Amino acid sequence: MKVRRWTIIVTVLAIVVMMLPAAAGAAPSNQGQSYTVQKDDSLWLIAEKYLGSGAAFMAIVQATNAKHAEDSSFAEITDASLIQPGWKLWIPTKEEAESLLAALPPAPAAGKRALNITFAWPTYIDPAVGSDFSSTSALCNLYDTLVFPNTKGGVDPHLAESWEVSDDGLTWTFHLKKGVKFHNGSELTASDVAFSMNRLLEIGEGLAYVFLGTVESATALDDYTVQFKLTKPSGLFLISLIRLYVLDEEEVMANVVTPGPYGDKGDYGKEYLLTHDAGSGPYKVKEFPLEEYLLMEKNPDWFGTFAPNAPDEVRFIATTETATVRTLMSRQELEITDQWQTIEALEALDAMEGVDVAAFPVLTEFYLMIHTKKPPTDDIHFRRAMAYAFDYDAAVALEWPGTKQSRGPVPAITAGHNPDVFVFQRDLEKAKAELAQSPYADKLDEYPVEYHWITEVPAEEKFALLFQANMAEIGIKVDIVGTPWMSVVEEMASQEQSPHIVSIYVSADFPEAGSLLKVRYHSDAAATWSQNEWLLDPDLDAKIDDALATVNQDERYAKYRELQDYIVNLCPSLFLYDQVQKHAYQSAYVDWPAAKGEVIPVMGYNMYAPVIQILPH
Amino acid sequence: MKLITFITRRIIHSVFVLFGLSIVIFVISRVMPGDPARMAVGARAPQWVVDNLREQMHLNEPLYVQYYYWLRDALHGDFGISLVTRRQVADDIKEFFPATFELALFAGVIMGGAGIFLGTVSARHKDKWIDNFVRVISYLGVVTPAFVFAILFLLLFGMTLNWMPTMGRISAGLSRPPVVTGLITVDALLAGDFATLLDALWHLILPALALAMGGMAQEARITRSTMSDNLTKDYIASERSLGIPEKVIMRKFLLKPSLIPTVSILGLDFAATLSNAFLVELIFNWPGISRYGINAMLRKDLNAIAAVILILGVVFIVVNILVDIVVAQLDPRIRLAPGRGE
Amino acid sequence: MPSLTPESDWLQEEVNNVTAQANSLTLPKSKTMENIGRSWYKFSRNPMSIVGLCTVLLVVFLAVFAPLVAPYPEHAGAFVDFANASRPPCGRYLLGTDVVGRDILSRIFFGFRFSLTMGVVVLALVVPPGVTLGLIAGYNQGTWLDTIIMRLTDIFLAVPPLVLALAICSVLTPNLFNAMLAVSLMWWPWYTRLVYGLASTLRNEFFVSSAEAIGAGKAHIIFREILPNCISPIFTKMSLDMGWVILIGSALSFVGLGVQPPKPGLGTMVADGAKYLPDQWWISVFPALAIVVVVLGFNLLGDGLRDMFAAEEV
Repeated sequence: MKVRRWTIIVTVLAIVVMMLPAAAGAAPSNQGQSYTVQKDDSLWLIAEKYLGSGAAFMAIVQATNAKHAEDSSFAEITDASLIQPGWKLWIPTKEEAESLLAALPPAPAAGKRALNITFAWPTYIDPAVGSDFSSTSALCNLYDTLVFPNTKGGVDPHLAESWEVSDDGLTWTFHLKKGVKFHNGSELTASDVAFSMNRLLEIGEGLAYVFLGTVESATALDDYTVQFKLTKPSGLFLISLIRLYVLDEEEVMANVVTPGPYGDKGDYGKEYLLTHDAGSGPYKVKEFPLEEYLLMEKNPDWFGTFAPNAPDEVRFIATTETATVRTLMSRQELEITDQWQTIEALEALDAMEGVDVAAFPVLTEFYLMIHTKKPPTDDIHFRRAMAYAFDYDAAVALEWPGTKQSRGPVPAITAGHNPDVFVFQRDLEKAKAELAQSPYADKLDEYPVEYHWITEVPAEEKFALLFQANMAEIGIKVDIVGTPWMSVVEEMASQEQSPHIVSIYVSADFPEAGSLLKVRYHSDAAATWSQNEWLLDPDLDAKIDDALATVNQDERYAKYRELQDYIVNLCPSLFLYDQVQKHAYQSAYVDWPAAKGEVIPVMGYNMYAPVIQILPH
Repeated sequence: MKLITFITRRIIHSVFVLFGLSIVIFVISRVMPGDPARMAVGARAPQWVVDNLREQMHLNEPLYVQYYYWLRDALHGDFGISLVTRRQVADDIKEFFPATFELALFAGVIMGGAGIFLGTVSARHKDKWIDNFVRVISYLGVVTPAFVFAILFLLLFGMTLNWMPTMGRISAGLSRPPVVTGLITVDALLAGDFATLLDALWHLILPALALAMGGMAQEARITRSTMSDNLTKDYIASERSLGIPEKVIMRKFLLKPSLIPTVSILGLDFAATLSNAFLVELIFNWPGISRYGINAMLRKDLNAIAAVILILGVVFIVVNILVDIVVAQLDPRIRLAPGRGE
Repeated sequence: MPSLTPESDWLQEEVNNVTAQANSLTLPKSKTMENIGRSWYKFSRNPMSIVGLCTVLLVVFLAVFAPLVAPYPEHAGAFVDFANASRPPCGRYLLGTDVVGRDILSRIFFGFRFSLTMGVVVLALVVPPGVTLGLIAGYNQGTWLDTIIMRLTDIFLAVPPLVLALAICSVLTPNLFNAMLAVSLMWWPWYTRLVYGLASTLRNEFFVSSAEAIGAGKAHIIFREILPNCISPIFTKMSLDMGWVILIGSALSFVGLGVQPPKPGLGTMVADGAKYLPDQWWISVFPALAIVVVVLGFNLLGDGLRDMFAAEEV
């Protein structure tokens, strides 16, 4: 570990020197000069002294080695971290140094601005496969989209400069920017956009569900105009285009493996896109050993603008192991942690020097989903009794500071959230009164409530235990069972096997109330993991569909608000809290917009690297 | 029996065992409740996507037909597509196996080297304090599960003392040497990249040690007991009476015959290392086949589960055969016995 | 044992011992009080065996009377006391508390229950069929019955037991019962192998051929003549195996495929606690040490028994 130790020593020395202003007596010279290495010198220190910047030390190495070729009294530097007292060096002038540095091959990895982030594996970088947090975080860096989400919950033009929608809301036409290049150098055209949509729809996996059933066709009218025909008007279509990542048709089809499941399209490039990208985004894949890390490098030809200190390399490290994360953070080998660290772990990270915890609201709510078709929770009074008996304040207190109890079925930052919706607060008297009205009131012992929590998220156990303790106060017996995620998904697929209560975090796909209400309470979502309520209420379904089909934004939001009142009246879930996403990060040298409150409320986009800055450290 | 006949018989026998194992594995991977195709594509994918995938994986056929397809493809080295990594399981194994092999190899070296050394020291100083010390340590080593060692090492050396890296095969800043063998240490050596070699070794120490502890203790115990048995043998006494120095006796006449049981246990322990690696790789985030296997199991990735077990079975059997051969070479008196149960 | 392979070098030794024993007799001999006294003397001569016996007795005692001896029996299951969460070891909580405020010591006592249940149930499920198959195959050595049984054991022995047990657990609903089932499925071949070795030697012994000559039935010969001579190695192996089964059980629950929370499985506690390393080290380290103690106890006891039996009839 000699190398690492020297690097540390060099860095420490450099810092010491910087903290001693005017300690260096030697004035910067106008001609080159020779220099004899003293004890405790380092190249960084010398460069700092004579060239004004420690980072210019490579110029001294180059210049000295050039001199060595003519005059062997000069030292030959083979390892810049190792110089010996007595060696004779040649220090070039500042101008020479600059030209020498400019002529150098790209700086070695250590000198690059690196952004390392830990993630929960797997990360799928195929736009037709990936859909989770780590995948979307990678996708938005590798690919461009027609529109780009902004911090207000709306979208800004991106690949598309402008667009129009027909009066019936069924035809959308987008006009593309010209001259956008894919990573391979070919131009991005409308046919690539149409191809990307068709590929997504044909494969049907990943994020395809946001378009399936809505988009009928995608056609390129000319090189820079693309048109989408919809099957029904959709208020969410424009914002959903942030999930249409544009692929280079030529590159994908050149790498198709045949035979494959998609007929003449073979595997539709799935194998290739598993570890390669075919995008135009600000970053491109450099190395991707699966289950280890995904390394992306800056795309200098990107059409957008990077922040001045945007990272040169972005690495997603496939681990969420607390111990590992902690060690990497303490060694500054990790800039931003994953979001799965426990409160305890975050507190410890927060205590490290130069590390802070960024906590920002996201489109995720933590629910206790109650089965409304299974005794005893099929009785609304029983459910209301539970809603009154639960200690929301205690639950919120278990979370990171700044977390708030949810107001209704969608997080407060969602567009179309109803701030006036009824909110249950703990009130044991009311709870008992509700329970008294329940037909199960006098036979509570015969009807224990089964509560499942996800073992992969150990922090959920605390809420389960709190719930159990609270319910015991009004006489309801709760059995809590830790259940692995896969088993929960299986259980929730059938009405009989779904437990009385499951605690699950659900995120909205888009910052609009409707997108979450649909997956939470529409009958289409019954039998999936995002609904344990089994409401199966045709009136509610019709209302949700109607709201989503409303193209006018204000009308749509009004319908969302009504829906939230309707749902709260059914008391199908306990709305615990709006999730605050927490990441520890190196606040001393990482400038991260999300940490400063500039949050893009869509999954993945807060890891959009072009706006994250790595300051010198 | 001649060596070649012995090997042939063992291989034929192994083929039968593997065939039986393949049936067991196949049954395990297909009795799984839930629809693996649905699991693979996610809850929100439409039903036709699931149906297509089921078709592709032959999940709609009767079990014996599924087995036929599976076996046919497996014989061609095609284990199907992993539902988690979304690529050929064979590719996954090619990528992850070397990491585990490197780890197990390193652990094996520690196990054999340190175990024999400790055992020898112990036998030589029988009933002295050092012998008692080694005995106690090796007893503790034998009964402590590898994952407990892993956690303790991680806590002590990785976190509290902060001496060693706690995850992965090389440091984040380094790039891998060109892949020749897949073993980073060997590849780095071939590429002449000593910084990477050192770094890789540094990463290997903790997990390899955690894996090796148990086996090491076992080796030490066995070496000690056979050596101290042999020490009382007549031929040693006669050598002593001839005035041959103790050291020479130890090295020349005692060590080799005493190693026979050690080697046979070493082989078993090495194979067992591959199974212990399941938890150790998880703890040290080692991107090997065991971590891959565990993830496959937790995510019900049936193709991957089947392939990982089959591969481990093959390795297990091969190691057993090798051990038998090595033992026979060490001790010409041992007649090569037929395979198990024959 | 680190290797999780219950096979060990003493197998052959055992075969030799038993053969020697059997040869010195004409018929199996029943034990007398004097014999037991002598055995106890042999056993108690090794202090380590006594330590093992005491450890095992202590663990069994703590497990059986956990509700009485645990300082906070209610902490065994779902219980919260956030005010006392993550307390380091202190007078009130000898081994500290976990992140929801449960006493680690109490949970370890209850954890012993699951571990011992696991060991006892698995051995109860495994030993009878394993031994019977081994006896049948050994007695009928060379016949097709032998071939089938022993090939079957070969298949199960071709993969480390932990790996197959993990695989079986992963396809079933993860809980203690299924974990026991999975380990049992993997474990019987070891007994078949052990007994097969013994039985195939014993069947050629004088007392067996004399019984055959008298016209004794197969069942009689297998269970009344051969089996009694295999008892001591089986017994020794069971004692050692208790430790290994507990170890495998804890490995299963470590990866989340065994005892499910909030039940306090020792492996589960280690895995959960590992998330809070290094600050709340006590949450994982003490349950880990508890596993070591149990396994150590059964190993010392097993070794003691082996020495006792080996020395017995000589």
